[in-house]
Amino acid sequence: MHALDQELKSDSTGIASLLRGEAESMHDWLHGVDALRLARELGVILIGSGCYGAAMGWWRSPEQALFVAIKFPLIILLTTLGNALLNAMLAPLLGLNLTLQQTLRAVLMSFTISSAIMGAFSPLIAFMVWNAPAMAAKNISGTTYNFILLTHVMVIALAGITGNVRLFQLLSRLGGSRAIARRVLFAWLAGNLFFGSQLTWILRPFIGSPTLPVEFFRESALRGNFFEAVFRSLLQIFHSN
Amino acid sequence: MNEINQPPQSVPPPPPQIPPVINGPRALGDDPAERIPIKNIIGVIEAVLRQPRRLLFQLRQPGAGRLIGGMLLASLICGLVYGLIIGSFSGAEQWWAAPIKFTGGLLISALICLPSLYIFAGLSGSTARLGEIFGLVAGLLLLMTVLLIGFAPVAWLFSQSTNSVLWMGFLHLMFWFVATAFGLRFLDAGFRQTNARSGAGLKTWTVIFVLVVLQMSTALRPLVGRADTFLPTEKKFFLAHWGDCLEDQGQNDQSHSRR
Repeated sequence: MHALDQELKSDSTGIASLLRGEAESMHDWLHGVDALRLARELGVILIGSGCYGAAMGWWRSPEQALFVAIKFPLIILLTTLGNALLNAMLAPLLGLNLTLQQTLRAVLMSFTISSAIMGAFSPLIAFMVWNAPAMAAKNISGTTYNFILLTHVMVIALAGITGNVRLFQLLSRLGGSRAIARRVLFAWLAGNLFFGSQLTWILRPFIGSPTLPVEFFRESALRGNFFEAVFRSLLQIFHSN
Repeated sequence: MNEINQPPQSVPPPPPQIPPVINGPRALGDDPAERIPIKNIIGVIEAVLRQPRRLLFQLRQPGAGRLIGGMLLASLICGLVYGLIIGSFSGAEQWWAAPIKFTGGLLISALICLPSLYIFAGLSGSTARLGEIFGLVAGLLLLMTVLLIGFAPVAWLFSQSTNSVLWMGFLHLMFWFVATAFGLRFLDAGFRQTNARSGAGLKTWTVIFVLVVLQMSTALRPLVGRADTFLPTEKKFFLAHWGDCLEDQGQNDQSHSRR
Protein backbone atom coordinates (compact mmCIF):
# COMPACT_ATOMS: atom_id res chain seq x y z
CA MET A 1 0.00 0.00 0.00
CA HIS A 2 2.85 2.32 0.97
CA ALA A 3 4.64 1.52 -2.27
CA LEU A 4 1.48 2.32 -4.22
CA ASP A 5 1.17 5.66 -2.43
CA GLN A 6 4.78 6.46 -3.21
CA GLU A 7 4.26 5.51 -6.84
CA LEU A 8 1.18 7.70 -7.12
CA LYS A 9 2.98 10.57 -5.43
CA SER A 10 5.97 10.39 -7.75
CA ASP A 11 3.64 10.09 -10.73
CA SER A 12 1.69 13.16 -9.65
CA THR A 13 4.79 15.27 -10.25
CA GLY A 14 5.43 13.65 -13.63
CA ILE A 15 4.36 14.14 -17.20
CA ALA A 16 1.50 11.66 -16.88
CA SER A 17 -0.26 13.94 -14.42
CA LEU A 18 0.06 16.81 -16.88
CA LEU A 19 -1.40 14.68 -19.66
CA ARG A 20 -4.29 13.73 -17.40
CA GLY A 21 -4.80 17.39 -16.64
CA GLU A 22 -4.65 16.94 -12.86
CA ALA A 23 -5.44 20.43 -11.71
CA GLU A 24 -3.83 20.01 -8.29
CA SER A 25 -0.53 18.90 -9.76
CA MET A 26 -0.46 21.69 -12.33
CA HIS A 27 -1.37 24.27 -9.70
CA ASP A 28 1.36 23.03 -7.30
CA TRP A 29 3.92 23.12 -10.08
CA LEU A 30 3.13 26.72 -10.88
CA HIS A 31 3.41 27.87 -7.29
CA GLY A 32 6.38 25.84 -6.13
CA VAL A 33 10.05 25.63 -7.00
CA ASP A 34 11.05 22.21 -8.31
CA ALA A 35 14.24 22.11 -10.35
CA LEU A 36 13.87 18.39 -11.02
CA ARG A 37 10.44 18.85 -12.52
CA LEU A 38 11.65 21.75 -14.64
CA ALA A 39 14.54 19.63 -15.91
CA ARG A 40 12.10 16.81 -16.65
CA GLU A 41 9.84 19.13 -18.64
CA LEU A 42 12.76 20.51 -20.61
CA GLY A 43 13.86 16.92 -21.23
CA VAL A 44 10.42 16.01 -22.58
CA ILE A 45 10.48 19.04 -24.91
CA LEU A 46 13.99 18.24 -26.17
CA ILE A 47 13.37 14.53 -26.63
CA GLY A 48 9.69 14.58 -27.64
CA SER A 49 9.79 17.35 -30.22
CA GLY A 50 13.35 16.36 -31.22
CA CYS A 51 12.29 12.80 -32.05
CA TYR A 52 9.31 14.10 -33.99
CA GLY A 53 11.57 16.46 -35.90
CA ALA A 54 13.97 13.62 -36.68
CA ALA A 55 11.12 11.50 -38.02
CA MET A 56 9.93 14.41 -40.14
CA GLY A 57 13.34 15.15 -41.67
CA TRP A 58 14.27 11.50 -42.18
CA TRP A 59 12.26 11.29 -45.42
CA ARG A 60 14.74 13.69 -47.05
CA SER A 61 17.99 12.35 -45.49
CA PRO A 62 19.57 11.40 -42.13
CA GLU A 63 21.34 14.76 -42.09
CA GLN A 64 18.02 16.57 -42.52
CA ALA A 65 16.62 14.41 -39.67
CA LEU A 66 19.40 15.65 -37.38
CA PHE A 67 18.81 19.27 -38.37
CA VAL A 68 15.06 19.11 -37.78
CA ALA A 69 15.61 17.27 -34.48
CA ILE A 70 17.51 20.36 -33.34
CA LYS A 71 15.16 22.89 -34.93
CA PHE A 72 11.89 21.69 -33.38
CA PRO A 73 12.93 22.08 -29.70
CA LEU A 74 14.74 25.31 -30.64
CA ILE A 75 11.52 26.83 -32.00
CA ILE A 76 9.58 25.84 -28.88
CA LEU A 77 12.17 27.21 -26.45
CA LEU A 78 12.82 30.41 -28.41
CA THR A 79 9.08 31.11 -28.72
CA THR A 80 8.63 30.56 -24.98
CA LEU A 81 11.54 32.84 -24.08
CA GLY A 82 10.92 35.46 -26.76
CA ASN A 83 7.34 36.03 -25.67
CA ALA A 84 7.90 35.51 -21.93
CA LEU A 85 7.98 39.19 -21.07
CA LEU A 86 4.99 40.05 -23.24
CA ASN A 87 2.95 37.14 -21.89
CA ALA A 88 3.82 38.11 -18.31
CA MET A 89 2.64 41.68 -19.00
CA LEU A 90 -0.56 40.64 -20.74
CA ALA A 91 -1.71 38.21 -18.03
CA PRO A 92 -2.23 40.80 -15.25
CA LEU A 93 -3.61 43.34 -17.71
CA LEU A 94 -6.24 40.80 -18.74
CA GLY A 95 -7.13 39.90 -15.16
CA LEU A 96 -4.75 37.13 -14.12
CA ASN A 97 -2.05 38.11 -11.66
CA LEU A 98 0.79 35.79 -12.65
CA THR A 99 4.50 36.47 -12.22
CA LEU A 100 7.02 36.17 -15.05
CA GLN A 101 8.19 32.85 -13.64
CA GLN A 102 4.66 31.48 -13.35
CA THR A 103 3.85 32.60 -16.90
CA LEU A 104 6.96 30.89 -18.21
CA ARG A 105 6.11 27.68 -16.37
CA ALA A 106 2.50 27.70 -17.59
CA VAL A 107 3.55 28.13 -21.23
CA LEU A 108 6.35 25.59 -20.81
CA MET A 109 3.83 23.14 -19.35
CA SER A 110 1.59 23.38 -22.40
CA PHE A 111 4.58 22.91 -24.71
CA THR A 112 5.67 19.91 -22.61
CA ILE A 113 2.30 18.26 -23.16
CA SER A 114 2.45 19.01 -26.90
CA SER A 115 6.02 17.68 -27.12
CA ALA A 116 5.09 14.51 -25.24
CA ILE A 117 2.29 13.89 -27.74
CA MET A 118 4.57 14.61 -30.70
CA GLY A 119 7.22 12.34 -29.19
CA ALA A 120 4.67 9.57 -28.82
CA PHE A 121 3.71 9.92 -32.47
CA SER A 122 7.28 10.01 -33.76
CA PRO A 123 7.62 6.19 -34.12
CA LEU A 124 4.42 6.20 -36.16
CA ILE A 125 5.73 9.00 -38.35
CA ALA A 126 9.05 7.20 -38.74
CA PHE A 127 7.16 4.04 -39.76
CA MET A 128 5.14 6.04 -42.29
CA VAL A 129 8.30 7.60 -43.74
CA TRP A 130 10.03 4.20 -43.87
CA ASN A 131 7.11 2.85 -45.91
CA ALA A 132 7.00 5.87 -48.21
CA PRO A 133 8.86 5.83 -51.54
CA ALA A 134 12.14 7.76 -51.38
CA MET A 135 11.76 11.51 -51.72
CA ALA A 136 12.21 12.41 -55.37
CA ALA A 137 11.34 15.31 -57.58
CA LYS A 138 8.40 13.45 -59.12
CA ASN A 139 6.62 12.74 -55.81
CA ILE A 140 6.99 16.03 -53.94
CA SER A 141 3.73 17.20 -55.46
CA GLY A 142 2.02 13.81 -55.59
CA THR A 143 -0.19 11.77 -53.26
CA THR A 144 2.63 10.57 -51.00
CA TYR A 145 3.88 14.05 -50.29
CA ASN A 146 0.38 15.34 -49.63
CA PHE A 147 -0.42 12.40 -47.37
CA ILE A 148 2.75 12.91 -45.31
CA LEU A 149 2.10 16.65 -45.11
CA LEU A 150 -1.49 16.10 -43.99
CA THR A 151 -0.38 13.60 -41.34
CA HIS A 152 2.10 16.12 -39.93
CA VAL A 153 -0.58 18.81 -39.85
CA MET A 154 -2.96 16.50 -38.01
CA VAL A 155 -0.42 15.31 -35.42
CA ILE A 156 0.92 18.81 -34.73
CA ALA A 157 -2.63 20.18 -34.52
CA LEU A 158 -3.61 17.43 -32.06
CA ALA A 159 -0.53 18.16 -29.94
CA GLY A 160 -1.11 21.90 -30.04
CA ILE A 161 -4.81 21.71 -29.25
CA THR A 162 -4.27 19.30 -26.35
CA GLY A 163 -1.51 21.46 -24.86
CA ASN A 164 -3.72 24.52 -25.06
CA VAL A 165 -6.78 22.78 -23.61
CA ARG A 166 -4.67 21.84 -20.57
CA LEU A 167 -3.35 25.39 -20.38
CA PHE A 168 -6.91 26.72 -20.50
CA GLN A 169 -7.89 24.42 -17.63
CA LEU A 170 -4.96 25.67 -15.59
CA LEU A 171 -5.69 29.32 -16.33
CA SER A 172 -9.39 28.84 -15.48
CA ARG A 173 -8.41 27.41 -12.13
CA LEU A 174 -5.91 30.18 -11.41
CA GLY A 175 -8.19 33.01 -12.52
CA GLY A 176 -11.39 31.51 -11.13
CA SER A 177 -13.15 32.47 -14.35
CA ARG A 178 -13.38 30.91 -17.77
CA ALA A 179 -13.77 34.35 -19.36
CA ILE A 180 -10.44 35.56 -17.93
CA ALA A 181 -8.75 32.28 -18.90
CA ARG A 182 -10.10 32.62 -22.45
CA ARG A 183 -8.83 36.19 -22.75
CA VAL A 184 -5.36 35.34 -21.46
CA LEU A 185 -5.07 32.16 -23.53
CA PHE A 186 -6.16 33.98 -26.69
CA ALA A 187 -3.62 36.77 -26.13
CA TRP A 188 -0.80 34.27 -25.41
CA LEU A 189 -1.75 32.14 -28.40
CA ALA A 190 -1.84 35.13 -30.72
CA GLY A 191 1.63 36.24 -29.58
CA ASN A 192 3.12 32.75 -29.71
CA LEU A 193 1.67 32.01 -33.15
CA PHE A 194 2.90 35.32 -34.51
CA PHE A 195 6.45 34.88 -33.18
CA GLY A 196 6.55 31.11 -33.74
CA SER A 197 5.48 31.45 -37.38
CA GLN A 198 8.38 33.75 -38.12
CA LEU A 199 10.89 31.53 -36.25
CA THR A 200 9.63 28.55 -38.23
CA TRP A 201 10.01 30.56 -41.44
CA ILE A 202 13.62 31.45 -40.58
CA LEU A 203 14.49 27.88 -39.63
CA ARG A 204 12.97 26.26 -42.73
CA PRO A 205 13.29 23.67 -44.38
CA PHE A 206 11.70 20.94 -42.25
CA ILE A 207 10.50 18.24 -44.60
CA GLY A 208 13.04 19.30 -47.21
CA SER A 209 13.01 19.13 -50.96
CA PRO A 210 14.84 16.69 -53.28
CA THR A 211 15.69 19.56 -55.63
CA LEU A 212 17.41 21.65 -52.94
CA PRO A 213 20.53 20.80 -50.90
CA VAL A 214 20.23 19.68 -47.27
CA GLU A 215 21.13 22.63 -45.08
CA PHE A 216 20.36 23.93 -41.61
CA PHE A 217 19.43 27.43 -42.80
CA ARG A 218 18.43 28.32 -46.32
CA GLU A 219 20.48 31.05 -47.88
CA SER A 220 17.34 33.20 -47.91
CA ALA A 221 16.51 32.50 -44.23
CA LEU A 222 16.61 36.14 -43.23
CA ARG A 223 15.09 37.46 -46.44
CA GLY A 224 11.37 38.22 -46.22
CA ASN A 225 9.00 36.91 -43.60
CA PHE A 226 6.23 34.38 -43.20
CA PHE A 227 3.38 36.87 -43.43
CA GLU A 228 4.80 38.64 -46.49
CA ALA A 229 5.07 35.23 -48.19
CA VAL A 230 1.44 34.41 -47.33
CA PHE A 231 0.36 37.82 -48.59
CA ARG A 232 2.27 37.42 -51.85
CA SER A 233 0.82 33.91 -52.36
CA LEU A 234 -2.69 35.28 -51.87
CA LEU A 235 -2.00 38.08 -54.34
CA GLN A 236 -0.75 35.53 -56.90
CA ILE A 237 -3.90 33.43 -56.44
CA PHE A 238 -6.15 36.43 -57.00
CA HIS A 239 -4.11 37.69 -59.96
CA SER A 240 -4.08 34.28 -61.65
CA ASN A 241 -7.88 34.07 -61.31
CA MET B 1 15.49 56.50 -6.61
CA ASN B 2 14.40 56.94 -3.05
CA GLU B 3 10.85 57.06 -1.75
CA ILE B 4 8.63 58.79 -4.28
CA ASN B 5 5.78 59.67 -1.92
CA GLN B 6 5.07 59.24 1.74
CA PRO B 7 2.66 56.72 3.31
CA PRO B 8 -0.54 58.33 4.57
CA GLN B 9 -0.04 57.22 8.26
CA SER B 10 0.01 53.62 9.46
CA VAL B 11 0.32 51.00 6.73
CA PRO B 12 -1.27 47.57 7.26
CA PRO B 13 0.57 44.54 5.84
CA PRO B 14 -0.18 43.79 2.18
CA PRO B 15 -2.23 40.74 1.17
CA PRO B 16 -0.37 38.19 -0.96
CA GLN B 17 -2.16 39.00 -4.22
CA ILE B 18 -4.06 42.02 -5.40
CA PRO B 19 -6.86 41.59 -7.91
CA PRO B 20 -6.05 43.50 -11.10
CA VAL B 21 -9.63 44.77 -11.47
CA ILE B 22 -9.45 48.52 -12.02
CA ASN B 23 -13.01 49.43 -12.81
CA GLY B 24 -14.57 48.01 -9.65
CA PRO B 25 -17.14 49.89 -7.62
CA ARG B 26 -14.79 50.26 -4.60
CA ALA B 27 -13.31 53.65 -3.78
CA LEU B 28 -9.57 54.04 -4.30
CA GLY B 29 -7.62 53.21 -1.16
CA ASP B 30 -10.26 50.86 0.27
CA ASP B 31 -7.80 48.04 -0.11
CA PRO B 32 -4.90 48.57 2.35
CA ALA B 33 -2.47 47.37 -0.33
CA GLU B 34 -3.34 50.39 -2.44
CA ARG B 35 -2.04 52.66 0.33
CA ILE B 36 1.49 51.25 0.21
CA PRO B 37 3.74 53.89 -1.34
CA ILE B 38 5.59 53.10 -4.56
CA LYS B 39 9.30 53.35 -3.91
CA ASN B 40 11.18 53.06 -7.19
CA ILE B 41 10.90 52.77 -10.95
CA ILE B 42 10.59 48.99 -10.86
CA GLY B 43 7.75 49.44 -8.37
CA VAL B 44 6.07 51.91 -10.73
CA ILE B 45 6.27 49.44 -13.63
CA GLU B 46 5.01 46.59 -11.43
CA ALA B 47 2.14 48.75 -10.22
CA VAL B 48 0.98 49.89 -13.65
CA LEU B 49 0.85 46.26 -14.80
CA ARG B 50 -0.45 44.50 -11.68
CA GLN B 51 -1.87 47.08 -9.31
CA PRO B 52 -3.24 49.97 -11.37
CA ARG B 53 -5.61 50.98 -8.55
CA ARG B 54 -2.61 51.39 -6.26
CA LEU B 55 -1.00 53.69 -8.80
CA LEU B 56 -4.22 55.67 -9.23
CA PHE B 57 -4.53 56.07 -5.45
CA GLN B 58 -0.91 57.18 -5.09
CA LEU B 59 -1.38 59.74 -7.87
CA ARG B 60 -3.97 61.47 -5.67
CA GLN B 61 -1.71 61.73 -2.65
CA PRO B 62 0.35 64.81 -1.71
CA GLY B 63 3.81 64.61 -3.23
CA ALA B 64 2.62 62.66 -6.31
CA GLY B 65 4.94 64.83 -8.40
CA ARG B 66 7.89 62.54 -7.72
CA LEU B 67 5.81 59.53 -8.66
CA ILE B 68 4.83 61.20 -11.93
CA GLY B 69 8.50 62.05 -12.51
CA GLY B 70 9.36 58.39 -11.97
CA MET B 71 6.66 57.32 -14.42
CA LEU B 72 7.93 59.72 -17.07
CA LEU B 73 11.51 58.59 -16.54
CA ALA B 74 10.48 54.94 -16.90
CA SER B 75 8.51 55.83 -20.07
CA LEU B 76 11.54 57.63 -21.44
CA ILE B 77 13.83 54.65 -20.84
CA CYS B 78 11.34 52.12 -22.25
CA GLY B 79 10.66 54.40 -25.25
CA LEU B 80 14.37 54.72 -26.01
CA VAL B 81 14.82 50.94 -25.82
CA TYR B 82 11.93 50.32 -28.21
CA GLY B 83 13.27 53.10 -30.44
CA LEU B 84 16.56 51.17 -30.66
CA ILE B 85 14.63 48.16 -31.89
CA ILE B 86 12.96 50.35 -34.54
CA GLY B 87 16.38 51.71 -35.53
CA SER B 88 17.89 48.22 -35.78
CA PHE B 89 15.96 47.71 -39.04
CA SER B 90 17.99 50.31 -40.94
CA GLY B 91 21.08 50.68 -38.74
CA ALA B 92 23.52 53.55 -39.49
CA GLU B 93 22.18 56.93 -38.26
CA GLN B 94 18.84 55.33 -37.34
CA TRP B 95 20.49 53.71 -34.29
CA TRP B 96 20.30 57.10 -32.59
CA ALA B 97 17.68 58.92 -34.68
CA ALA B 98 14.87 56.38 -34.27
CA PRO B 99 15.02 56.25 -30.42
CA ILE B 100 15.07 60.05 -30.21
CA LYS B 101 12.25 60.50 -32.72
CA PHE B 102 10.08 57.74 -31.26
CA THR B 103 10.42 58.80 -27.62
CA GLY B 104 10.38 62.51 -28.36
CA GLY B 105 7.36 62.16 -30.65
CA LEU B 106 5.40 60.24 -28.05
CA LEU B 107 6.19 62.71 -25.24
CA ILE B 108 5.47 65.76 -27.40
CA SER B 109 2.16 64.23 -28.59
CA ALA B 110 1.13 63.65 -24.97
CA LEU B 111 2.12 67.19 -24.05
CA ILE B 112 0.19 68.65 -26.99
CA CYS B 113 -2.92 66.67 -26.02
CA LEU B 114 -2.71 67.31 -22.25
CA PRO B 115 -4.59 70.65 -22.20
CA SER B 116 -7.47 69.26 -24.29
CA LEU B 117 -7.77 66.28 -21.93
CA TYR B 118 -8.03 68.67 -18.99
CA ILE B 119 -10.76 70.63 -20.78
CA PHE B 120 -12.68 67.49 -21.78
CA ALA B 121 -12.37 66.19 -18.21
CA GLY B 122 -13.86 69.43 -16.91
CA LEU B 123 -16.68 69.33 -19.46
CA SER B 124 -17.43 65.74 -18.40
CA GLY B 125 -17.88 66.87 -14.80
CA SER B 126 -14.56 65.48 -13.57
CA THR B 127 -13.11 67.00 -10.40
CA ALA B 128 -9.53 66.08 -11.32
CA ARG B 129 -6.80 68.71 -10.98
CA LEU B 130 -4.32 69.31 -13.79
CA GLY B 131 -1.63 67.44 -11.82
CA GLU B 132 -3.88 64.41 -11.58
CA ILE B 133 -4.64 64.49 -15.31
CA PHE B 134 -0.91 64.82 -15.96
CA GLY B 135 -0.36 61.73 -13.80
CA LEU B 136 -2.97 59.78 -15.78
CA VAL B 137 -1.29 60.72 -19.07
CA ALA B 138 2.08 59.69 -17.59
CA GLY B 139 0.45 56.34 -16.70
CA LEU B 140 -0.83 56.01 -20.26
CA LEU B 141 2.67 56.62 -21.65
CA LEU B 142 4.24 54.25 -19.15
CA LEU B 143 1.90 51.36 -19.87
CA MET B 144 2.26 51.90 -23.62
CA THR B 145 6.06 51.92 -23.59
CA VAL B 146 6.36 49.04 -21.10
CA LEU B 147 4.11 46.90 -23.29
CA LEU B 148 6.16 47.85 -26.34
CA ILE B 149 9.21 46.46 -24.53
CA GLY B 150 7.27 43.18 -24.29
CA PHE B 151 6.83 43.28 -28.06
CA ALA B 152 10.49 44.18 -28.62
CA PRO B 153 11.86 40.62 -29.18
CA VAL B 154 9.18 39.95 -31.80
CA ALA B 155 9.80 43.32 -33.50
CA TRP B 156 13.57 42.71 -33.49
CA LEU B 157 13.22 39.27 -35.08
CA PHE B 158 11.07 40.66 -37.87
CA SER B 159 13.34 43.67 -38.39
CA GLN B 160 16.26 41.29 -39.01
CA SER B 161 14.38 39.17 -41.51
CA THR B 162 12.67 41.56 -43.87
CA ASN B 163 13.66 44.41 -46.15
CA SER B 164 10.18 45.80 -46.51
CA VAL B 165 9.83 49.23 -44.91
CA LEU B 166 6.07 49.00 -45.38
CA TRP B 167 5.84 45.71 -43.53
CA MET B 168 7.98 46.92 -40.60
CA GLY B 169 6.00 50.15 -40.40
CA PHE B 170 2.77 48.18 -40.31
CA LEU B 171 4.14 45.85 -37.63
CA HIS B 172 5.27 48.70 -35.35
CA LEU B 173 1.93 50.41 -35.89
CA MET B 174 0.08 47.25 -34.92
CA PHE B 175 2.14 46.86 -31.72
CA TRP B 176 1.60 50.54 -30.96
CA PHE B 177 -2.18 50.14 -31.37
CA VAL B 178 -2.27 47.18 -28.95
CA ALA B 179 -0.12 49.04 -26.40
CA THR B 180 -2.24 52.17 -26.78
CA ALA B 181 -5.46 50.22 -26.24
CA PHE B 182 -4.17 48.99 -22.87
CA GLY B 183 -2.82 52.44 -22.00
CA LEU B 184 -6.18 54.05 -22.75
CA ARG B 185 -7.89 51.45 -20.57
CA PHE B 186 -5.74 52.64 -17.68
CA LEU B 187 -6.59 56.25 -18.48
CA ASP B 188 -10.29 55.40 -18.61
CA ALA B 189 -10.09 53.64 -15.22
CA GLY B 190 -8.45 56.72 -13.72
CA PHE B 191 -10.97 59.01 -15.39
CA ARG B 192 -13.86 57.10 -13.80
CA GLN B 193 -12.38 57.79 -10.37
CA THR B 194 -12.59 61.54 -10.92
CA ASN B 195 -16.41 61.71 -10.70
CA ALA B 196 -16.78 62.25 -14.46
CA ARG B 197 -20.47 62.08 -15.39
CA SER B 198 -19.84 61.11 -19.02
CA GLY B 199 -17.21 59.22 -20.96
CA ALA B 200 -17.88 61.09 -24.21
CA GLY B 201 -15.15 63.63 -23.52
CA LEU B 202 -12.53 60.95 -23.00
CA LYS B 203 -13.66 59.10 -26.12
CA THR B 204 -13.29 62.27 -28.17
CA TRP B 205 -9.87 62.90 -26.66
CA THR B 206 -8.82 59.33 -27.46
CA VAL B 207 -9.53 59.95 -31.16
CA ILE B 208 -7.56 63.20 -31.01
CA PHE B 209 -4.60 61.55 -29.26
CA VAL B 210 -4.42 58.69 -31.77
CA LEU B 211 -4.58 61.12 -34.70
CA VAL B 212 -1.87 63.32 -33.18
CA VAL B 213 0.51 60.38 -32.64
CA LEU B 214 -0.10 59.06 -36.16
CA GLN B 215 0.57 62.49 -37.63
CA MET B 216 3.65 62.87 -35.39
CA SER B 217 5.04 59.61 -36.83
CA THR B 218 4.67 61.16 -40.30
CA ALA B 219 6.07 64.54 -39.28
CA LEU B 220 9.17 62.85 -37.83
CA ARG B 221 9.61 60.35 -40.67
CA PRO B 222 11.45 58.23 -41.38
CA LEU B 223 11.22 56.20 -38.18
CA VAL B 224 11.65 53.02 -40.22
CA GLY B 225 13.97 53.16 -43.24
CA ARG B 226 16.53 55.82 -44.12
CA ALA B 227 16.54 59.35 -45.54
CA ASP B 228 19.08 62.03 -46.42
CA THR B 229 17.82 64.43 -43.78
CA PHE B 230 16.98 63.98 -40.08
CA LEU B 231 13.52 65.48 -40.62
CA PRO B 232 11.42 65.39 -43.80
CA THR B 233 11.61 68.30 -46.23
CA GLU B 234 8.06 67.79 -47.50
CA LYS B 235 4.96 68.18 -45.31
CA LYS B 236 2.34 65.45 -45.61
CA PHE B 237 -0.81 64.25 -43.87
CA PHE B 238 -0.30 60.73 -42.51
CA LEU B 239 -2.94 59.15 -44.78
CA ALA B 240 -1.26 60.65 -47.85
CA HIS B 241 2.12 59.34 -46.61
CA TRP B 242 0.75 55.83 -46.13
CA GLY B 243 -0.86 55.97 -49.57
CA ASP B 244 2.50 56.90 -51.12
CA CYS B 245 4.23 54.06 -49.24
CA LEU B 246 1.67 51.53 -50.49
CA GLU B 247 2.11 52.80 -54.03
CA ASP B 248 5.91 52.51 -53.81
CA GLN B 249 5.62 48.96 -52.48
CA GLY B 250 3.21 48.03 -55.29
CA GLN B 251 5.66 49.35 -57.89
CA ASN B 252 8.52 47.40 -56.26
CA ASP B 253 6.42 44.21 -56.30
CA GLN B 254 5.61 44.70 -59.98
CA SER B 255 9.25 45.24 -60.93
CA HIS B 256 10.19 42.08 -58.92
CA SER B 257 7.56 39.98 -60.67
CA ARG B 258 8.72 41.24 -64.10
CA ARG B 259 12.23 40.07 -63.27
